[in-house]
Amino acid sequence: MSAIIEMERVSFSYATASDGAYALKDIDLSIEEGTFVGLIGPSGAGKSTLASAITGAIPHHYQGRLFGSTRVAGLDTCEASLTDIARFAGSVLQDIDAQMVASVVEDELLFGLENFGVDHGEIEGRISSALDAVGIADLRHREISTLSGGQKQKVAIAAILAMAPRVIVMDEPTSALDPASARGVFEVLRRAKELTGMTVILIEQMVALLAEYCDRIVVIDRGRIALDGTPADVFAHGDALRTIGVDTPRTVRISNSLAEAGLTSSDSPALTLDEAESLVAGILAPEPSKRAPVAPCGAGNRVDARGDLDDERPIVVEVSGAAYSYGAGRAGVEDMDLTVRAGEILSIVGRNGAGKTTFAKLLNGLLKPSSGHVRIAGLDTRTTPVSTLASHVATLFQNPDRQLCRDTVVEEIAFGLELQGTPTQLARGKARDVAATFGLPGDASPFNLSRGQRQMVALASVVALEPELIILDEPTSGLDYRECMTVMETVRARALAGAAVVMICHDMEVVSDFADTLAVMAEGRLIEVGPCREVFANDALLAHAHIAAPCVPALGKRLSARFHPSFARVTEVADLVAIVKELKDHA
Amino acid sequence: MLDVIDYTPGKSLLHRLNPVTKLAIAAAIIIATFLAQSPFALMALLALTLGAGAHAGVARRLASLLKVLLPVVVAMFALQVAFTSTGERIVAFATVDGVIGGARACLRLVGAALPLALMLSVTKLTDLADACVEVLHIPYRYAFTFTTALRFVPVFTREMNAIMEAQTARGVRFDTGNPLKKLSLMIPVCIPLLVTSVQKTDATALAAEQRGFYLRTRASSYRRYPMAAADLVALGCCLVLIAVGFAL
Repeated sequence: MSAIIEMERVSFSYATASDGAYALKDIDLSIEEGTFVGLIGPSGAGKSTLASAITGAIPHHYQGRLFGSTRVAGLDTCEASLTDIARFAGSVLQDIDAQMVASVVEDELLFGLENFGVDHGEIEGRISSALDAVGIADLRHREISTLSGGQKQKVAIAAILAMAPRVIVMDEPTSALDPASARGVFEVLRRAKELTGMTVILIEQMVALLAEYCDRIVVIDRGRIALDGTPADVFAHGDALRTIGVDTPRTVRISNSLAEAGLTSSDSPALTLDEAESLVAGILAPEPSKRAPVAPCGAGNRVDARGDLDDERPIVVEVSGAAYSYGAGRAGVEDMDLTVRAGEILSIVGRNGAGKTTFAKLLNGLLKPSSGHVRIAGLDTRTTPVSTLASHVATLFQNPDRQLCRDTVVEEIAFGLELQGTPTQLARGKARDVAATFGLPGDASPFNLSRGQRQMVALASVVALEPELIILDEPTSGLDYRECMTVMETVRARALAGAAVVMICHDMEVVSDFADTLAVMAEGRLIEVGPCREVFANDALLAHAHIAAPCVPALGKRLSARFHPSFARVTEVADLVAIVKELKDHA
Repeated sequence: MLDVIDYTPGKSLLHRLNPVTKLAIAAAIIIATFLAQSPFALMALLALTLGAGAHAGVARRLASLLKVLLPVVVAMFALQVAFTSTGERIVAFATVDGVIGGARACLRLVGAALPLALMLSVTKLTDLADACVEVLHIPYRYAFTFTTALRFVPVFTREMNAIMEAQTARGVRFDTGNPLKKLSLMIPVCIPLLVTSVQKTDATALAAEQRGFYLRTRASSYRRYPMAAADLVALGCCLVLIAVGFAL
């Protein structure tokens, strides 16, 4: 194998960066052909810039000062044209709608083939094998606008595969996908890599998937390569990663915690559930699993936070028999019954298209139920104007750019308050306080901030309203680990202060860390509402809703079958480790 | 309104014609609509468009477009009637000339809007672009710009709706009855839309270039768009249509 990508002392600063700051600094990177490489790092670290440098978008599309040399399949990216580089390196952009050039799937694949002058006799074969490789042969004649997010990602991959490049570079392909579709994209890339020997370079935040699929992980921090190696090497540096602001897979946290507790001497981290399971099995294995359950395990049976208290907290959301239909051709929701109380964090989970967003719009009044009732803080949404409801319900949308419209951060945060009739001076003063607690620059223009910071501005303007109900639609997508934690900690603080929170979230790790209650949706219906740990223990239900249980409950489930029933309901790493320790001590 | 120009699959004669012929038919109907003076001829032309739409199975699309146009048509008719003072009075300030002039203006408006919508709903945009490049020798970059602009209409409409929803949810009173007030509320909302549009357009340009956009020539297209006998007949009919429009 030889290096397909060679970067030597590459530095780059965007022409638009007013202070001339370097987005990349002294990058030395060499990538062997046929490897699956994951690029990870906090937002603004330079991941996308590095990808652009590899695909030739830098220097050909983005202007700026570039130093050093980058060679793709032997071509110097400064000398070769973007089109020539594209023969070897295909790229899929973050904005998948902008990536598409045609309106029908087949034409999307044809575009590149036609342009690069692929022999017309060969085209049919290339198209059908690319579609087969990603498993979407049945979508060939579909309109792209009717496809789901996951399907569009596959179309984009197929369009690149058809051109048979030697490298494919993808920028956060899974940020808008449900866990099952995200895994599907990784599967497709691995298969393509194995079939064609293609090199895959992927920017991604989902550490669990990276750990499982990548051959190599490169961690970028402030424009430099911070760590570089196999997933086992990189994730062994848990502390360094935390300082940078990168998450580690839960399996790694489990193995690290076990090692810290002195239960295992293994220093290589567990990257998959299987590895974690065999690690625990190695600790407990001498123990015959049939042995009578020893001492009740306090940690595993921790009393649920939701107790009898429940009945005393005021009801904020009351949904009874609500339904909504978009008319023929698009699924709505029906038979929704749900109660959310003040201080409760409820998470709605389900695959893309299960009706989660529709349900959220019923709650903030953007949609009115066609039958049944939705009452928010005692107000019937059908008879209350949305602008009135807005003082009781605040929504944080998935894309903050749809929310931001003022010139400065302070004005933006004050805008919601002013709309509710707070005098301007008072609203600005309050906004300034909120901006300060979030550490946001009050006088900066929201549009000049990073994606993560814009999300924080949007969140700040929601928090400033002190609403009774906060609705979050995918609050963490597109955020790095640290931003994600800040957002979620803020939300938890609001819940403690008495707000009800309803959040839609695909990241099951975030859900299991923060939600009290889970509402599972499938095909437009609520199929289950219950405490987190109970829902995550119910395999049949999860399978029906196409949800993968988060790592710790999934591992707990396996371990409870092999070793001890108290593993069945763990949701946190610390509890799991405690049980292992207890069982070991009793041995 | 979102899906008025979306492609509706089908196998009718109209679907099978060369995209360039379809454009010519739309152009001929529109030209005839502007040339013809008699309201009856205008009605016949409109009937022709609607008939062709029914034949191609897109009548419902056209009906929904008509519904969108209706308020404009009514306003236009009212203005024409109010501001025409010649001719015999019928009731109050309405005169025969005013009613006829108003009807003519309204029929022209509808007659000019529908044929193009009809043709776009039975033609895939890619086919339209490729056929224009092959048959009319239009440089691909212009054809691509045109089709991309059309493709972005629903994308941006969705984006605009999402922005309006986000702003409504924060308490901006888009649910007001006052149209002027609503308009003034919408102006700040255009900023995020503008920002997203520029980003999207830039991304599309990059994505197209990375897939060999600049290498594309007339010979690149995998599909061929020859003018068949049916196309020539249709083009002949177009000329006749324009002549008839001129005569009436």
